[in-house]
Amino acid sequence: MRSPRAQWTIAFVALVLGFLAIVQLRAQAGGVGLANLSEPDLTTLIASLNQRNTQLAAEVSTLESQARALQQARDQGVSAVGGLRADLAGIRLWAGLDPVTGSGVVVECAGPITADEANELLNDLRLAGAEALAVGSVRVVNATVVAGPPGALSVENVALPSPFLVSAIGNSINLTASLTRVGGIVSQLQVTSPGVQLTVTPADSLVLPATDRSLIPADGQPRL
Amino acid sequence: MANLVARMRRVPSWQFTLAAAMLVLGFVMVAQAGAEPSVVQYTSQQRPPLVETATQLQSQQDGLKAQILQLRAQIESLEASSAGNNTLATSLNQQLQQARLAAGLVDLQGPGVVVQLEDSTQPIPPGGAPGDYLVGASDLLAVVNELWLDGAEAIAVNGERITATSGMTDIGSSILLNGTYLQPPYQIVAIGPSDLYARLTSSANFERFLKARVEGYGIGLGAGSLSKAVVPAYAGTVALDYAGALPSSPAPAPTPTHSGG
Repeated sequence: MRSPRAQWTIAFVALVLGFLAIVQLRAQAGGVGLANLSEPDLTTLIASLNQRNTQLAAEVSTLESQARALQQARDQGVSAVGGLRADLAGIRLWAGLDPVTGSGVVVECAGPITADEANELLNDLRLAGAEALAVGSVRVVNATVVAGPPGALSVENVALPSPFLVSAIGNSINLTASLTRVGGIVSQLQVTSPGVQLTVTPADSLVLPATDRSLIPADGQPRL
Repeated sequence: MANLVARMRRVPSWQFTLAAAMLVLGFVMVAQAGAEPSVVQYTSQQRPPLVETATQLQSQQDGLKAQILQLRAQIESLEASSAGNNTLATSLNQQLQQARLAAGLVDLQGPGVVVQLEDSTQPIPPGGAPGDYLVGASDLLAVVNELWLDGAEAIAVNGERITATSGMTDIGSSILLNGTYLQPPYQIVAIGPSDLYARLTSSANFERFLKARVEGYGIGLGAGSLSKAVVPAYAGTVALDYAGALPSSPAPAPTPTHSGG
């Protein structure tokens, strides 16, 4: 029979082993976890999450109202056509299926700007809250990518003139500040691509066309 | 020899177990003591509460996104059931289904591609920038943009659907997409034509990426074609605060014009 002392020894060793195994695994798995972010990065992340959560909460609120209205219409046997129309119009507008208007900024892109730099500009505008974008006369949707060599850029098979304009509808102050801030794309390109010039101008009344792309997937099916 | 074996047989088996355990313990303790921290340890007192706040906000975000998806499903069901015999309502519902598909509000499946990117495990040479050895937003964008050019119809990164308003940025050693915090490894899933993988891997941009980032800095890359790729629905906001519909007078399709400013 094993002595109690031996049993306690084994138990203790197993405990320590288990503990160390967990610590070791955690150290490997949590390599880039929140715990490894610097204070400034954590602060930035918190600000971003707060901002996003506020937007999401507003969306929840809107959807709840919409659901309630539909439910009421159903309960009262009243037509929901008005609600359907409004929902359809809103989704189409956001998706780029219809032309759109609003205030925002126009960015004139002059010089030998590369496709990568133009796509970076689109990304930066999205991050800054652009609600609708166009490059030249082409409405930008998720799949819209600028391609080609500098001087011969094209977007969705439409050749871009030089200089060309990128239009963005959104809060023009935020859009301008984001692009022109220290370390933003305008100052970055001044350093990395001196011949390239981005000029950001606020605009009161932009009109962007609907997309020409077919956004209905041909290869993808709704997953039921 | 037989003596030795006989003596060993008399040792209780638990002592062998214990010896083995102590041996492993010894190894693990040395490994733990010798393990270099992979990142600098920040010792300020501010950090734990910040980490906790960020964790709570992430958790809150997950909840909000789940609510959004659930409410959209509920609305869809209410709208569909409101049609009844009303042909206009039926037509509107059909148009709504198409609009939702176009907007990325529907889970999709179909043939496609998966590309996985991981931080480099190469040792950073003296004078090297640690950031170069991490997967950044520009890396993800390079692959995603090439996939769009090659005919992808829908793309998600770690479950985040990419939409017309989706922006991607670096945060520390991780990435924010759609305002959501993503950690490596990053899985890019795309649905598209059945030859999407071939198109991607033979493209000049992809080769450039391989050379610069994978060969150059050891960024981990795995890619393959999928017969059944799944791209989830966008779980964010479609609200527009600045963009609105054109006044509904019949007008030809406009090219972008601007006034003022």
